[in-house]
Amino acid sequence: MSSTVVETTPKVEPQVEKNYLNADHTIKSWLLTTDHKRIAVLYLISVTVMFFFGSVAAALIRYELTAPRGLLLSSEAFNKTFSAHGVFMVFFFLVLAIPATLGNFLVPIQIGARDLAFPRLNLLSWYLYTIAAVLVLISMFMGGVDAGWTFYTPLSSTYSNTQITLCLVGIFISGFSSIATGVNFVATIHKMRAPGMTWFKLPLMIWSTYATSVIVLLGTPVVAITLFLVVVERAFGFGIFSPELGGDPVLFQHLFWFYSHPAVYIMILPAMGIISELITCFSRREIFGYKFVAFSSMAIAGIGFLVWGHHMFISSQSVYQGIIFSLISFIVAVPSAVKVFNWSLTLMKGSVHFSTPMIYALGFLGLFVIGGLTGLYLASVDTDVHLTGTYFIVAHFHYVMVGGTIMAFLGGIHFWWPKMFGRMYSEFWGKLSAIIVFVGFNFTFFPQFILGYLGMPRRYHLYYFAPEWQVYHIMSTLGSSILGIGFVLPAIYLTHSLVKGRKAEANPWDARGLEWEYTSSPPITENFAKTPVFRGKVYDYDAVADAAKYEGEIEPVIEGKGRTNV
Amino acid sequence: MSDHTHHHDDEHDPVYFQYEQIDQQQETYVLGMWSFLVTEVLFFGALFMLYIIYRWKFQDDFYLVHEQLNWKLGGLNTAVLLFSSFMVAAAVHYAQKKRKTQQLICLGITLLCAFMFMMVKTKEYGDKWSHHLIPNKAFSYGEHHGGGGELGGQGEHAAVLPNGGKITLASGATNMGGEGASHDEFQYHPGNGTIAPQPREKPAFLKFLDGVFAPLDMPEKEQHGSPEHARLFLSLYFLMTGLHGVHVLVGIIVISALMILTIKKAPTITDYIPTEMVGLYWHFVDLVWIFLYPLFYLIPK
Amino acid sequence: MATAQHDHSHSHHIIPMPVLIGNLVLLGFLMGATIWAAQSLPAMLHSSGLPDAQISLIMNIVALTIAFLKAGFVIAIFMGVKYTTKLVKLYAIGGFVWFCLMFIMFADYATRPMEPVHGWEPEIPSALPRNTSEIPD
Repeated sequence: MSSTVVETTPKVEPQVEKNYLNADHTIKSWLLTTDHKRIAVLYLISVTVMFFFGSVAAALIRYELTAPRGLLLSSEAFNKTFSAHGVFMVFFFLVLAIPATLGNFLVPIQIGARDLAFPRLNLLSWYLYTIAAVLVLISMFMGGVDAGWTFYTPLSSTYSNTQITLCLVGIFISGFSSIATGVNFVATIHKMRAPGMTWFKLPLMIWSTYATSVIVLLGTPVVAITLFLVVVERAFGFGIFSPELGGDPVLFQHLFWFYSHPAVYIMILPAMGIISELITCFSRREIFGYKFVAFSSMAIAGIGFLVWGHHMFISSQSVYQGIIFSLISFIVAVPSAVKVFNWSLTLMKGSVHFSTPMIYALGFLGLFVIGGLTGLYLASVDTDVHLTGTYFIVAHFHYVMVGGTIMAFLGGIHFWWPKMFGRMYSEFWGKLSAIIVFVGFNFTFFPQFILGYLGMPRRYHLYYFAPEWQVYHIMSTLGSSILGIGFVLPAIYLTHSLVKGRKAEANPWDARGLEWEYTSSPPITENFAKTPVFRGKVYDYDAVADAAKYEGEIEPVIEGKGRTNV
Repeated sequence: MSDHTHHHDDEHDPVYFQYEQIDQQQETYVLGMWSFLVTEVLFFGALFMLYIIYRWKFQDDFYLVHEQLNWKLGGLNTAVLLFSSFMVAAAVHYAQKKRKTQQLICLGITLLCAFMFMMVKTKEYGDKWSHHLIPNKAFSYGEHHGGGGELGGQGEHAAVLPNGGKITLASGATNMGGEGASHDEFQYHPGNGTIAPQPREKPAFLKFLDGVFAPLDMPEKEQHGSPEHARLFLSLYFLMTGLHGVHVLVGIIVISALMILTIKKAPTITDYIPTEMVGLYWHFVDLVWIFLYPLFYLIPK
Repeated sequence: MATAQHDHSHSHHIIPMPVLIGNLVLLGFLMGATIWAAQSLPAMLHSSGLPDAQISLIMNIVALTIAFLKAGFVIAIFMGVKYTTKLVKLYAIGGFVWFCLMFIMFADYATRPMEPVHGWEPEIPSALPRNTSEIPD
């Protein structure tokens, strides 16, 4: 992006001095806020902290694997390290990083509402998350857990003697945090849209967030109760999954993956929403096939619930059911592919601007395609028998989770940073770190595909029986160091921009959407000076940015309402 | 934040800051409550799924264990909950008509029903406790139960005495030792009934319930069937009715809170919606019990 | 508050008291029916000469049908779903529909014993149907 674009931007809204950030400076005003934007900032800080802990665990894993007999950790410590990595990253970063930060910030603004439907519930959700995170951190520092993030029974329920009970209670509570956010988003998106903001004028970010929220509502309670059952088995000696009572440990896996496979879509769908926004903005084109992208989100949410068994092909699940799950798993690839094709066709004939967010978006495209296509090997029963439980699967889901979700998260943070904090970051450092993340990521995880194909099992820290794998492990560890730099850089220059950054205009990217065209940067506490009436088209990049299409005021509703006096 | 404080000052404005109209606000709250209930349905749904699968596998043994449950007490609880469900619906009815006294009376009766339910539940759990049917360390299940044990006076420790047919896990090799693991501490009576513990004395504060519910007592049945499957069944029983009981307790708290806020004319109670939401929650508690009752207390042979 | 809005806020359906009472009576009747069925129906069916397996099936169907009827009346009348918007109806039903998805698990438990693997017993002693007795110790 260059200044030329900025100059064409009409001054939609004069820069207001008061905004949600400087409305009140006391700590109490932050900790007891019900403003969705402030809660988004609180969440941003929390998930960054949890991401840091998860990253430290990841670094330890990579360092340990550099030598065939390990360098640092005992077997028990290694088990606890990869479990901690999984728990932090999955339950406390990936499933909520985008919805709770960018989603919280954007949902009301993009649909033209003053706040989420239930602001106090939103705050409660953050507190639940914080309590859960603290409990899990305590459990990790009191000895950790060694059952992996999946907590398969009977290891977790019977044999392990680590801090599993406390950790699972933490995860159980974080489930309610997710549910609170999901309830809020569903109610908000259904009922709080501004006049004229019909379903097919919604930004695709909203469609994705809606689909995500529906999955959260339908899936999270199942995993919450399943993990709670393990707690009950450990704490009280109830036997639910114990084979010696005739119970079936595989039933735990069924119930666990009933949520945890859709949870993969909880992680990736908001990322897809962000990518739809970024690609349209920086291609200066309306998205290709809006309805296909929108409905594919819903299709993924629906079909995603029917494929959980592909995690269990070798778990003693019935072979016949495995075949059916395999078939449906191939089907769920279709809506994801629809999105990728639509993004590619949006890029075609677009006027592509290589700004920082766009580099992340393009990185996402490539990595997600690799992650998705390698998923097909794992969806097919016969190849999965060879590849499951190896580093192939580790590489696959890191391509989707890190290459997909985290790339999109970083892209989204860079895209909406001016809107969230009213400051521009250094474009040079932004682009540089985007490229570093992309390069480092591929260096880290591509060798793992090869390792997995060769047979390196996941969750092992010794491979002295096959020292020829060391070269791939060293590549991977080197790559992860680069990736680490790529993650540290944004933390530095984004924080720096808060103090020293150039003040951002209302619409620095010349993007379309209520949040860009109708709010200041950063927005005021009520988001909009007047309730917007949406009269334009969504992603109308052909038209010049024009405040007039949002102008107008709905009929005066109730005395003192409608922000007319702000 | 200070920009819109005037909205908070206005206590009688029923429309919250983020809404445009009262209609929108009310519909949003109802939708939000229903989407929360969706999560509750799936929360219990997972447990029902467990139950269905195990019952399908062990229909015969589950039938034999379920005879240990008192279907009369369960039936009483069903009636109590159905009636309370009606009462809370009536409370919503009166709240919509803005007849506060009747609304509070209905909520009060609902609250009484909730306490009644918990009393019956306490009596049932107490009976299970004294018969060693709670699936913890003291669990014991076998043919000679109910007829007075040979080892009278052994009390609760008799149940954990090792006996010939005890089932333990293959410990040692797989168990890493230490205190976290729990299962290897449990032993199950195989059903030969050589050592049958005496019924335990209930705590004194629970004894009065025996008198209250004496007409509904049922003769003790002999314990038949596999003790392992009995333990599975009773685990599910305590888990599902226990979580349901937790929901009843939460219901007691929210109904009391609603009553207090309504009496105090709190600014958060501006229309019938809080009553409606509490009502929806309470109906859901009733719904769960509607399924729990036939599934646990009325198993066919 | 404008009068127009005031009228509007009362557009929500107030369920008449006779309907609520009728529903309670109906639910009480259904509760009685389910207890009666559990206590007396098996003996009646037995005397009519049905095999035990069928009686068990019939009893399960009867008990669950009554439970679903009761649940349906509570949801429709007491919870007011009959009178609400389509959206709320969708969410009210959605949870139960989604719960049914979990029955896919049954495909697993039903077909596990069918696997054509030599040495696995067709008779299953537990929900974990593998015959582990042949594993050498």
